[in-house]
Amino acid sequence: MDSFSTGSSGTGSPQFSTDEFMDQMKVQLAQAYAQEFLETVRGKCFEKCITKPGSSLSGSESSCISRCVDRYIEATGIVGRVLFSSR
Amino acid sequence: MDPSALNSPDLQRFLNQEKEKAMVNEMVAKLTSVCWDKCITGTPGNKFSSSESACLSNCAQRFMDLTMIIMKRIQSMQ
Repeated sequence: MDSFSTGSSGTGSPQFSTDEFMDQMKVQLAQAYAQEFLETVRGKCFEKCITKPGSSLSGSESSCISRCVDRYIEATGIVGRVLFSSR
Repeated sequence: MDPSALNSPDLQRFLNQEKEKAMVNEMVAKLTSVCWDKCITGTPGNKFSSSESACLSNCAQRFMDLTMIIMKRIQSMQ
């Protein structure tokens, strides 16, 4: 057994197999999607809930933010369903 | 990863799948953003009113119609 056949499933290289590459890429993509979603929701909910920024976050502002996040996720679901039920 | 692995059918299939997922993801995100701005005019409540959820769904459907019309229009110009 030579050094090129260790630790990979057939076609990959010794240090870094195709499977490992795909797994790492999936993790990174998931992180990127989550990051992007966070930024979008942050922008939308800031606009809706923090209309006049005060010296601290009020209780009504923070409950607005929670509702806003929930509704934004729900809205994403509605839009996604429309896009995929019509095909 | 060794360069020849880039030609592996598994990897190509994986990349194409992820590319498609990314496109779908982007379209849903874009459309949600546009329709949210159009339909959710007040502060978000504990649940969507029926008019808000109907607006979101109509907004997405009309966006699809619009896409089709624009595509046809552009095709007819070629």
